[in-house]
Formats: sequence, structure tokens, C-alpha cells
Amino acid sequence: MTTSTQDKTSYRPDAIIVGAGIAGMQSALDLADQGLQVLLVERQSSIGGHMIALAKVFPTLDCASCITAPKMSASAHHENIRIMVNTEVRGIRTVRGTHFVKLFKKATYVNFDKCIGCRLCEYACDSEYPDPFEEGLGAKRAIAVPFTNAIPQKAVLDPELCTTCGSCARVCPTDAIEFDQQSEEVEMETDAVIVASGYALNSLSVKPQYHALQSKNIISALTMERLLAPHGPYGRVLRPSDGKVPSSVAFVLCAGSRDASIGVPYCSRVCCMYSIKMAMLLSGALPIADITIYYMDIRAFGKGYEQFYQNAKAMGINFVRGKVARIDPIEDGDLSLHVETTEDAENILQERRHDLVVLAQGMVPEWNPSIGTPVAVASDGFVATPMLTAPTSTTANGIFVAGVAAGPKDIVDTIAEAGAAAMQVSQYLHQKRGAAAVEYAQDPVLVG
Amino acid sequence: MAHAIDVALLEKIKKHGADGTLNVSACFNCGNCTAVCPLAEDSAGFPRRIIRMAQVGMEKELLAQEDLWRCYACGECTKTCPREADPMQFMAAARSYAISRYDATGLSGLMYRSPVFNIIVFLVLSGFFSLLLLRRKGEMAMGSNGNLFSGYGSTQLFRFIPGEWVHGIGIALFIVIGLTLAFGVVSMVARVMGRKNQAGERPPYPIAALIPSIWSAIVDALNHDRFRQCDKDEPAPSEPLHLRAWFVHGTIMWGFLAMLLATTLDYLFKPIGSPVPPWYPMRILGLVGGLVCLYGLSIAIGRRIQAKETPYDKSSFGDWFFLVLLTATVLTGLGTLIVVYMPHPTLFGYVTFMSHIVLAMDLIVLLPLTKFAHVVYRTLALALHEWAKAPAPETAAAVATHS
Repeated sequence: MTTSTQDKTSYRPDAIIVGAGIAGMQSALDLADQGLQVLLVERQSSIGGHMIALAKVFPTLDCASCITAPKMSASAHHENIRIMVNTEVRGIRTVRGTHFVKLFKKATYVNFDKCIGCRLCEYACDSEYPDPFEEGLGAKRAIAVPFTNAIPQKAVLDPELCTTCGSCARVCPTDAIEFDQQSEEVEMETDAVIVASGYALNSLSVKPQYHALQSKNIISALTMERLLAPHGPYGRVLRPSDGKVPSSVAFVLCAGSRDASIGVPYCSRVCCMYSIKMAMLLSGALPIADITIYYMDIRAFGKGYEQFYQNAKAMGINFVRGKVARIDPIEDGDLSLHVETTEDAENILQERRHDLVVLAQGMVPEWNPSIGTPVAVASDGFVATPMLTAPTSTTANGIFVAGVAAGPKDIVDTIAEAGAAAMQVSQYLHQKRGAAAVEYAQDPVLVG
Repeated sequence: MAHAIDVALLEKIKKHGADGTLNVSACFNCGNCTAVCPLAEDSAGFPRRIIRMAQVGMEKELLAQEDLWRCYACGECTKTCPREADPMQFMAAARSYAISRYDATGLSGLMYRSPVFNIIVFLVLSGFFSLLLLRRKGEMAMGSNGNLFSGYGSTQLFRFIPGEWVHGIGIALFIVIGLTLAFGVVSMVARVMGRKNQAGERPPYPIAALIPSIWSAIVDALNHDRFRQCDKDEPAPSEPLHLRAWFVHGTIMWGFLAMLLATTLDYLFKPIGSPVPPWYPMRILGLVGGLVCLYGLSIAIGRRIQAKETPYDKSSFGDWFFLVLLTATVLTGLGTLIVVYMPHPTLFGYVTFMSHIVLAMDLIVLLPLTKFAHVVYRTLALALHEWAKAPAPETAAAVATHS
């Protein structure tokens, strides 16, 4: 690993955005369109975040990638936006209003300047492993372009899985493969930062009573998104254990949030709606399947959401009120759900059999910026936003937050907030540069 | 059906919870507790339905739930409650509240809610019994007891306090307590049997099934059949047998029953104060019972002191009072057993003996007012539940002819 204090080209962006999901891309585009130079930093090998992996979005049932992909290419082709993928933010230090962002560029073993995305290396590679983009359902090669509509379309080599057989290097038409490439730490100087680091789904095993690791047919919500996506791993909905077409699918709400016993008391705000959405899509994909949603209460609070919920009920999706207490794997790969059906007068304690179970796991923060940066997090682990009237402000001056990094929210709210964060950054830069003649006499004042 | 709503019911029950931390208002009735409970049955809906009754003030219905007593506090509901509303502790508090409401004197309510009152009652009773016993005080002999193991010590002890006097008071107490308890029992039975289901019907309660129901309840109580089902949840119980809740409870109960049996048989068949050797069967029964009981009590108290995990992490004053009183009674009983076989009578011996009698009397007299009452109410609940399941005589006959 080599370390350099300044990028070789002495590039100095006006703002650095941490995370290139839908929030980060929206903020980047809104800033770049105002003529500001933006560096978009992404930990994964492609921009697009979770949204590019989704099937459709609620409540309009629009195709998710049809909304995300244009934003991705707009970001990639914008003259004021630079993108760094495979790059982690390792820390931010602020000196007199200037942020020094420490970036860790992971080695990809492919020279991106030379790679033309022809995929010949991918076809030549023999080492296969479960594809993380398909939530482990499809297969991927050790050197590969991350996924079909990834941006940038550059191959990335995973050193953990590579057998260093050299097949890829032999077929590469541009000699882009560099087995001796090193990870690199660079420090980038900027005036403003937006944290848009998004979320991870809570672990499948967080509730031991659900025995999710004992059955392949207890799947995460994102896995179900991939099964439903038109370009998903199987191209149709099959259950993972044996490829059977599911005939009875259960959605278990509040399986990873709103549960103090697992330490996540807050509501993730999207699970009700994405479960209803997927139930609707499933009833299209599997017209004769029984689809049941187990809920504590349905939180359909956004614009058009309540109608969406009512439509789902009218479509014949079963809604059963009761928190699922236990899921036991039973014969034939099926699952038995123990639930008290709290709205029934009789037979309230039921064991209900399903052949596929989707857990609505809820959102937890992807990144903890309180380690290494001046940004504080709240007790729930999401970035603290102490100012009610400026919801994208953090505890650090000049560092803003957008999207789920600030707390669980849906795509609509995320996009609105990303725009607000961009507006705050541009206003902040304007004020800062208007006063640029005045030397900063002291360290930046923290807000809140 | 009209309901009398007691708007303060939830607050009243909360006062019976351990250290005022009962957070049952947080419950939003998701039903996790019922679904995770290893004992819940299709028809039952406990703990959630009972919590709901408390939340909406249905006191009459709540007190008519024998299901209150069919929970053995394994704590699975509390460990998995999404709202940390502590259903297990709620059930315990509701049981304690029910005892206080079944009890006509109103004293048990005060005992449960006020540790100070509890201690005052205990001290006053103990003082009263001590004075009562000392009224017939005889000589406090300090000479030799004769040979070791002769058991002559018991003769000396009963010379100090006449055995007839002790037994006389004891029997009087049993009668008084029996009557007090009878009120509570009648109150509970009337409430439970008066309960109608949602269709407005009551179970037939056929007379023919009464004795079998009581018998099955007693067998269940002695065997801990239902209590043992609390283990069934996970593939293998997480604790070794000797630490599982039902086993520990069983040792306390069986040890106590053995001591009770030894005392009763002694009273019936052995002249008071007559010296017997240590290997006299009733002495052995008492000793073994005492040690077994002491084992259970030490585990139960130890885990509540450690307070590491549900269900041992929250103890009410009532829990502590009952456990400590029982332990003290057993310890002084075992002490008396030793004193009886000491070669010389000592002041310590007389004090231990006196303490044992006074503590045992406290235990008996406080039975209807303390946690001890669960012995009666729980068994009764099991019997009533069993009885309610019995079909009406005609149906039974029809079934018999049909088959």
C-alpha cells in the first residue's frame, strides 16, 4: 500500500459524497448541475446502491432499474462528477473549515483506464462463487463486471477467490490486468461532505427463534427482490432449496426492527410497503399461490400508500395480524410459523405452513461515521441530525447527511432529502466562499 | 354482555410487580408472547388476552381466568417481547393481585404492596406466638441428655414448651387459616365457574368429573407435568436437569411435603417428646426432606441474588419474603433435629427450637396472604381447568353409546 497526501492531478472537489446509492447520486447531480465539482465515493464496485437491485418500487410499481440506471449514467457522464468505486472513506479531519477526507482505494487488480468492459476475462475465468449482487443465488466469476447494468463497466478481481491461473491476463485485449496492483490510501481536500452511506439489512439470524440459518427457504427481503426482478438469478420465482415453484409464501413483518428484544426498537418505515409491493408482484408471478403477510400493524403513511395497501387486500393477499413468534423448518423444506392470530375469536394460536418465508428484516446503518470523523451518531446508530429545521445537518459543520444514513426512509423521501442536502451544501459553500477573505480564527464550530 | 370497567386496573396490577419496573403499558398486543409460549393452547390466548383485559379494565374477567395460574414463568415471552413489556412479570403481578382480591380480609393486598407492612405483620405475629408459647413455659433443663443419639433432647425441649400446647396452637391455626383460605377458594371458584365464553355459555361442570379433575390436578401438581413442558421449546433444554426451574421447584415442594409428612406422622403415632434414635423412619424422612428442600431453596435464592437472566432477574418483595421465611423455617427445623441429639441441652438449642415453632406458625398463618397461597390457587386452577373440559353427562353418555 502506498500513501500520498494529495491526488497526483491536484484535483480538489467542492464536495465529496460518501456513498453512490440513490441518495448520493441525487445529491451529486443536484450539485453538479449548479456547476460545483463533486467526487462521488462508493465502497462497492458499481454505483447504484441497493436501488439498482430492486424489482419495482412502491406505490407506483415502476421498474426500479428504469429509474436508477438513468441516474447512474447521468452521474457517470456528468462533466462535474468524478466517481471512485471500490473506495472506502477511512476518516475525515477538519482543519479551519477544510475537510481532509482519507480514502482507501481497494486494489481491483484491473487497470480501469485500460479496461474496456469486454468481459473476455470473465468468460475465461474458472473460479465461480455465489453472486453477492444476486444475494448468493446466482454464480459469479472471480474476475467479473459486478452485474449487467453496473457502472462503471469494469472488471474487478476478487483476490480471495482468484486461483492466479492467469487465464484472464492471457485473454485481455488491452493488458488491463495487473496482479501487482496495490491498495492505496489518498487524502482528498474539500469544503463540504455529504454522508449518504445508506443501510444494511439486519442479519437473518438476529432472531434465533426464526431459525433462518437452518433453512434456505427463509429468505431476506432483498433476496425476494432479486427473485422478482426481470433480470434476476432464475428469471422467475423459485424457492432456493429445491427450485420448487412456491405455492404458499409468507411475509413476516417486523422481523428485524421494532423489536426491543433484539436491540432495534425503531421502525424501518419501508418493510410494510415493500412487503405489500412484493406480495402484489408475486400474485402476478405466481397467480395460484397463497400469499400471506403477518403484521403487527400496517404503516402505510406515504402518499398513495394507504390506497396501495387497500388494493393489495382487494387483490386477495391475506393479512394476518400477529407477530410471528417462531419459525420451525419442517419436512419437504417447508416452514411452520407459530403465531397468535390476534383478530380471531377462536383458534387464535396457530401453526401455519408455508413453503417460502420472507423476513422483513429492517434497516441498520451501513457505516458508523462516529469512528474517524467528526460526525456523531444517535443512539440508534444513524447519523445524528440535531437541528429540526435543517434535517440534513449533522453535528459537524460542513458535513451533511442524506437518505437512510440519517434514519430509515423510503426512496421518495430519500430523493427529497438528497436534494435538500445538495441545496444546503451549495448554500454553505456560497456563504463560506463569500467570507473566504476572512481568515478562520478558530476551529470550526460544531452545530448542536 | 355488560362489562364493569375498572379504569385503574392496570395501575393496581403494576403495583404488584417487582420493583415498580413493570412496563406492561408498552404492550401493543402483537401476540408474540402467546405464540412463543410453550404452554399456550389453542383456546387460551394467554398471556396476551389477560394483558388486554388488564389494559382495558376488565377486572371481573381477569379474576375469572384460571389461566393466570397455568403459567409457570419460564420467561420465554419476556425474552422475546418486542416491546420489553415483560409479560412474565405481568402474569406474576396479576397472580399476586388476584390473591389479594380473592382474599376477603384485604390484608394480603397490603402485604404484597407494602414491604414495611409485611415486616410489621411478621414481627407482630412472631412476638405474639413467642409470648403465647412462653405462657406455658416449663423448666429449661441444662443437665445431661444421656447417651449421644438417644434423642432424649426432644424430651427436654418439650419439657420447656409443652408439646400439647404447641400442637394445640398449631391445630387452632390450621382451622383459622383453613377458614380464611376457604373464603378465597370459594371466591376464586365462583368467579372462574361463573365465566361465560364468547357465545355466552358456561362449561357443564358435571359432578361426576369433579373428583377425577381434582385428582388429576393433584397428580399434575406433584409431578410438575405441566411445569416440565416449559422445557419443550428448543431442541434441548439449555440447562442441566438439576438447575431447571421445574426441578428446583420440585425439590422445594417435595422436600417441604416430606417434612410436613414426617411432622404429621410423628404427631399421629409418636408420643410427644418420647426419645427416638436418629434412624427412626420419621426422623430420616424429615432430615432428607429438609436437605432436599434446602437444596432447592439455595438454588432459587442464589439465582435471584445473581439476577442475571429472565426469569430470575426481577424479584418482588413477596418472592423474597416467602423464600427467606421458608428457608429460615427449614434451617431452624434442621437445627432442632441436631439439638435433639446433642449430649447436653444448650440455650442455643432452646432458642432454635422456639424459633422453629414460631417461624412454622408464621408460615402457616401467612399462607393465604403470601406467595405460599399459590399452593392452593394453582392446584385449584388446574382442577377447574380440567373440570371445565369434561363433557356434559348426556354428551358423555352419547359418546359412550356411540362408541
